[in-house]
Amino acid sequence: MVFSSITFLFYFLPIVLVIYYITPNKYKNIVLLISSLIFYFYGEPTYVLLMFFSIVITYLFGMLISYYPKQKKIFLILSLFISVGLLVYFKYFNFIMENINLWLAHKIDFVYVALPIGISFYTFQMISYLIDVYRGQAKVQKNILKLAMYVSLFPQLIAGPIVRYTTIEQQIENREYSAEKFALGVRRFIIGLGKKVLIANVLANISTNFLASNDLSVLYYWMYAVTITLQIYFDFSGYSDMAIGLGKMFGFEFLENFNYPYIAISITDFWRRWHISLSSWFRDYIYIPLGGNRVNIFKFIRNILIVWFLTGLWHGAAWNFIIWGLYFGILLILEKLVLSKFLQKIPKFITRLYTLLIVMISFVIFNGEETKQILQNIGGLIGINNIPLLSQESIYYFKSYFIVILIGIIGATPIVKNIVINKKIYKIANIIEPIFLLFVLVISTSYIVDGSFNPFLYFRF
Amino acid sequence: MKHKIKDKIISIGFATILITVFIINIIVKDKTISNTERRKLAQFPEITIKKLFNGDVSNKLENYATDQFLARDYLRELKSFYNTNIYRQKDNNKLFEKDGAIYKIEYPLNINNIIKSAEKIKEVQEKYLKNNQVYYAIIPDKTYYLKNDDHLKIDYQTLKQTIKNKLKNMKYIDIWNSLNLEDFYKTDLHWKQEKLQNTVSVIQKSMNLEQIPTKYNKIEIGDFYGAYYGQLAATNILADKLYILNNETIENCITYNYETNKTAKVYENPNTADKYDIYLSGATPLISIENRDASTQKELLLFRDSFGSSLAPLLIENYKKITLIDLRYISSTLLDQYINFNNQDVLFIYSSLVLNQNILK
Repeated sequence: MVFSSITFLFYFLPIVLVIYYITPNKYKNIVLLISSLIFYFYGEPTYVLLMFFSIVITYLFGMLISYYPKQKKIFLILSLFISVGLLVYFKYFNFIMENINLWLAHKIDFVYVALPIGISFYTFQMISYLIDVYRGQAKVQKNILKLAMYVSLFPQLIAGPIVRYTTIEQQIENREYSAEKFALGVRRFIIGLGKKVLIANVLANISTNFLASNDLSVLYYWMYAVTITLQIYFDFSGYSDMAIGLGKMFGFEFLENFNYPYIAISITDFWRRWHISLSSWFRDYIYIPLGGNRVNIFKFIRNILIVWFLTGLWHGAAWNFIIWGLYFGILLILEKLVLSKFLQKIPKFITRLYTLLIVMISFVIFNGEETKQILQNIGGLIGINNIPLLSQESIYYFKSYFIVILIGIIGATPIVKNIVINKKIYKIANIIEPIFLLFVLVISTSYIVDGSFNPFLYFRF
Repeated sequence: MKHKIKDKIISIGFATILITVFIINIIVKDKTISNTERRKLAQFPEITIKKLFNGDVSNKLENYATDQFLARDYLRELKSFYNTNIYRQKDNNKLFEKDGAIYKIEYPLNINNIIKSAEKIKEVQEKYLKNNQVYYAIIPDKTYYLKNDDHLKIDYQTLKQTIKNKLKNMKYIDIWNSLNLEDFYKTDLHWKQEKLQNTVSVIQKSMNLEQIPTKYNKIEIGDFYGAYYGQLAATNILADKLYILNNETIENCITYNYETNKTAKVYENPNTADKYDIYLSGATPLISIENRDASTQKELLLFRDSFGSSLAPLLIENYKKITLIDLRYISSTLLDQYINFNNQDVLFIYSSLVLNQNILK
C-alpha cells in the first residue's frame, strides 16, 4: 500500500486514525502494531512472516546482549550475521548468482528470489537497535510487542526514514498529543503528498518518454538529467514528509531526512542534507567504528570507499548503484583532500552549480540500467555522437513540462519558505494555509484517481 | 488567524474529510460501467485465502477503490483542468484540444509493430486468399490532417511506405486524399459515415466495382459525445451530431453476428454507452451483412477495425454479402471454421492507430 493511493488515504488512514484515537493510551501501541502488520500484509502477504522472524530474532538477541554482558559481543555478531544474512539473501542473491554465472562456462541454475518490500529499511533499524543495546546507548526492550511496533511502524516501514530506536525509545512508552502536533502532521503529510503526486509522478513521464525515445537531442538529455534529479528528490522527500507527518499524527517525532539538498555548496554538504537518516546510519555504525577520519590517509580513503561502496549497494543489487556510491566516495575523498580549500574561496553560486552538476550526473548513473546506457546518457549532455541540439520530441516535452520543471526547481530550494516568513506575507499565508492544503489534497486526489503511475522509487530499496 | 484555531481547523478538517469520504464511499452503490471512459469499472474483488496471499486481492482492491471513488468523473475533470490550465501541459493523458476538436497523440511510430501488423495481413493472405483479388487501405488518424500544429504525431508517410513494402503482392488503395479533417468527429477518433462518399468512390474505382449512383437518406440520430470526450474529461467542446446514411437496400439488409448467433438490422440503436455502436451493433469479431435486394452474387471479405462498421453499409450495393472480420477479436487461425474462402473480393482496411499497436491476432 502506498501513501499516495486511494486505499491508504480514504480507507486505511481514516479507519486507523479513528480506532487509534478512541483507544485508551495503554492499548494504542497494539492498535499501531496491528494496523502496521495489516499495512505490510497488504503489500507483502507472504513476507510478513519474514518480518515476524526478524523481529523475534532481534528481540531475543537484544535480550541476550543485555542479560549476558560478557558474551554480548558474540551475541551481537551472531545477530548481525542473521540480519545481514537475510538481507543479503533476499536482496543480493540474484545479483551475486548472475555475476558468478558470468564467469562460469556451465551456468548455475537458480531460482530468483523476490525482494521483500522495505527489507533494507527495517533491517537497518533492527541493526541500529541491537548495536545501541550493545553499546549501552539504548535500554533493551523487554516487551516484544513494543519492539515489533517499533520495527513495523507503518509510517516509516517501507521507505524510511530510518528511525533509530533511540529516537523514539521514550515515545514508545509515552507520546504527547495535541491539535498543534496533529495539524503539523497534516501539513507535512499533504505537502509530501503534493510533492509525490503533483511533481514527482508528473516529471516521471519525461524520463519514461526519454528512455523509449528514438528522437533524442542534447536538449532531451538535459531535460532527462534535470527531471530525474528533481523526480528522485520529490519522490523520496515527499515520502519522508508523509512519513514524518503521519508520525506526528500518531504522536511520534521522527528526525528530518532532507534539508534542501540541492542548495548544497559541496558534495560533503549535500550528504548532510540528503537522506540524512541513511548517511548518519552509515556514519555511526560503519564509518566511525572503522576509525572515521581520525586515521592515516590510506585508512581514511579505505573507510570512505567501504562506506560508499556499501551505501551504493544498499540502494540496489546492481552495478550502477555500486558505481553511484563509489562515485560519491571518490568525490568526497577529493573534496576532503584537495578541493575543500578551493571551494571555500569560490562564490557560493559557483559551488552550488558544481554540486548540482555532480549530483545530477550521479542520478543519471543511479537511474541507468546498463553501463553503455549510462555513458550514452552522460555523453548526450555534451552532444557526443553528433546528437542534434534539438528534436521535435524534446521541444514538445520542454514546452509541455516547462511549468512543472520550474515549480520543481523552485520547490527544491527554500525560496518559498523564505518568502513566507516575511512578516507581511506571513499574515496572508497564515490565513490561506488551510485553503492551500485543501487545494493540494483535492488536486492530488484527482491525479491519483485519474492516473496509473504511482510507485515510490524507494520501495525497491 | 490565531495558530490554535488554525491548527484545530486543519486537524478537524483533515480528519472530517477522510472520514466523510470513507463513509460515502462505503454507502454509495458501486457502478458497473463508466459512461465517460467507455469501460467497465473494477468491482469489489472476491476474497479467498489463496487470492489474499498471492497479492491478487490487494491489486484488485486498488483498482476497485480508484474506479469506484466518490465523484470520480468530477475529479478527472478537475485534474484535466489543472493539467491544462495551471501546468499548461500540451496534452492530458495524450489527448489535446485544438480548434474545437479533440485529438489523441499516437506517438512514437513503432516500426516493429507496423511490420508485425503487415506480416499478419500477409499471413492471412497467404493462408486463405491466394486465389483472391486482395486490396488494402490504411486510414490515417485525424491528426494527419491537422495542419499548423506542434503536437507530436507519427510519420505517416513512413508508416504507409513500411506497410507497402511488406504487402507488395496486394493492391494498395490510397484513400488519404479522399478525406479531410471535417470528415472526422470532433469528439471521437472515427470518421463520419455521411462524409465517406468520396472514400467509397475511390474504393469502388480501385476495386473495379460499379459506381452505382446511390441515394441515401441522411438521418440524424442525435448528439454524439465520442470516446475522446469522456477520456479528456474537462472540455467545453460541443457534442457532434451522429447521422446514418440509409436507403431501402440497407434497410432490407440483415446482419448475422457469428459470435451471438443473432440477426439484426444494419443500424440498430445500441444498448451501449457508445452511440457509434449504431453501425452494425458495435465491436464484434465476425459479422456478415446480407443484401437481399442484390442483383449480384459477389461477396466481399472486409478485414477491418471499428472504422469498417460505418463504411461497410455504403459498399453493400455492390455485393450480395459482406463479411466483416475484426482480427483484433478473432485469431486468424480460426477463420476457416467460419468462412468458406472462395472467390470473394477482399479488402483489408485498418486505421493507423491499430497498425501501430500490433494487436491483430
